[in-house]
Amino acid sequence: MSPVTVGLIGIGVLVLTFLIGMPVGFAMAFVGMAGFCLLVSPDAGLSLLARDFFANLSAYSLTVIPMFIFMGSIAYASGMSRRLYEAGYTVFGQMRGGLAMATIAACAGFAAMCGSTNATAAAMGRVALPEMKRYNYNDSLATGCVAAAGSLGILIPPSTIFIIYGIMTEQSIGKLFIAGVLPGILLAGLFITVVVILCKRNPNLAPGGLPTTFKQKLAGLAGVIEMMILFALVIGGLFLGWFSPTQAGAAGAFGALLIGLARRQLTWKGFLFAVKDTLRITCMVMIIVTGAIIFGHFMAVAKLPLVLSEWVGGLPLPPMAIMGVIVLLYLLGGCFMDALALITLTVPIIYPVVLVLGFDPIWFGVIIVLVTEMGVITPPVGLNVYVIKGVAEDVPLETIFKGVLPFLAALLVAVGILMAFPQIATFLPGLALY
Amino acid sequence: MSGKLERLERFVDSFSNWLNWVAGVGLVAILALTVADIFGIKLAQAGVPFFRPIPGGIEVVAFLGVVVTAFAIAYTQILRGHIRVEFVVMRLPPRAQAYIAAFIWLLSFILFALLAWQSFEYGLSLQAKGTVSMTQRIPFYPFVHAIAFCCIPVCLALALECFKSVRKAVKG
Repeated sequence: MSPVTVGLIGIGVLVLTFLIGMPVGFAMAFVGMAGFCLLVSPDAGLSLLARDFFANLSAYSLTVIPMFIFMGSIAYASGMSRRLYEAGYTVFGQMRGGLAMATIAACAGFAAMCGSTNATAAAMGRVALPEMKRYNYNDSLATGCVAAAGSLGILIPPSTIFIIYGIMTEQSIGKLFIAGVLPGILLAGLFITVVVILCKRNPNLAPGGLPTTFKQKLAGLAGVIEMMILFALVIGGLFLGWFSPTQAGAAGAFGALLIGLARRQLTWKGFLFAVKDTLRITCMVMIIVTGAIIFGHFMAVAKLPLVLSEWVGGLPLPPMAIMGVIVLLYLLGGCFMDALALITLTVPIIYPVVLVLGFDPIWFGVIIVLVTEMGVITPPVGLNVYVIKGVAEDVPLETIFKGVLPFLAALLVAVGILMAFPQIATFLPGLALY
Repeated sequence: MSGKLERLERFVDSFSNWLNWVAGVGLVAILALTVADIFGIKLAQAGVPFFRPIPGGIEVVAFLGVVVTAFAIAYTQILRGHIRVEFVVMRLPPRAQAYIAAFIWLLSFILFALLAWQSFEYGLSLQAKGTVSMTQRIPFYPFVHAIAFCCIPVCLALALECFKSVRKAVKG
């Protein structure tokens, strides 16, 4: 059997192990090790397992992951998500669909402190959903908008997906972070537009809330200011070359800790919750990344990325059409696979193709994040939808998936806009001072 | 039999929880060290006396990365925190689900048993070669052995899952 055939069989076996419910990180490590044993030697495959585990777990570049997750967890434990929502409410609250708009704006704000889609959805869902219920918002709109806006968590920096993409493709994490800012604002705007359109078509979906006083608006501003300080510290520090990514994450986590203590909102119990939450998410992410690295080594000896990039590079199609097909494949893959697993599994295979086609790696990172955002809300494996289901237990899953659909259309529009105007993603990284 | 199993399960739970707190200490240590390093670097650059970067700070943080993940694997498994695709299996009858669960936990057990064995061997080879970090000359092998050690509760938790699934499948 040729190495390429073994590689293709390996992918088939991996998908099968995913479908029977083996944890995705374990499955990638297992199949990757077995494939390496087969193609190189049993000794080499077994030794690869231990070496890759140690190399990844002890990689300084990967310690950025727990730091940014810690920052988000502390921000949540310090009540920052609630204060951001209250700020959003003072601006949009009295408008029709205003609470949904406030939720999207608050998600965008929380995304500036948190790098995960499900953490953003969970944090804002716990705050926003009871409020929208109180004002008789349509369940589908309320849950759909939090699930979709929660996905902004990985587009607006910091972002675990940008970190993982940056490490896998050796691109600057700082530049990737900065590249996500404008597309993040664009997407938040598109999500708000979706709410406006939906409410125009059916005013009963989302009644307006009570007006707020100037004093309340001023008080709401405090929630935005603390978010802006953290964002400026972390992203500004990266932008100006003050911090390495790990240092930026640590500075952000420390800043969130200080804000929580200064506001007397972070209790010892809240801090311990943040530690445990960070460990669980970090461990889950690190095991998937390590599994993907082992699987990537198997793919490399199977020569699959090389063969694929040569084949795609020779296709008589314009690069943008091939990119369209890649995005479509990601969209389909995202329906059936966990988004993080999909990215870690496919980036080593697809990335050489993207380079051959002449696309900007930073721009492709933003596209990857957008398709990942779709993956976390598309049925049947949309993780964010399950997170929201965990918060709104009385709402059927189908209702949430239905509510997510208009926002999915907005995500597709965003991908289209970014394909037509790549400068939206590449403009800011071009200004970085390093 | 079931009493013994419950006792073993309680032991694995509390052992994993304890290891998870070790990972927690590692996490807070990374934060503290990195922040201290930032202050050390920036204040030393500004000419403030007595401030300097932490020697080998990056190396220590990297090794603490091993502690944060490896010591948390077992507890994350107990919390079912490792992401799985469940929508296909959920549609199957309970007995078929139990057989499949027994199979996947067996595969996972084999993976971590191999990882424990290979990490132990790798640690021994690093110890024999005397491999140390560049600036602080911290030996690598204790951290590789730590991974091997942390695989023990993971294997126990996975074996228990596998056993419970087999029992469920047989009883129907």
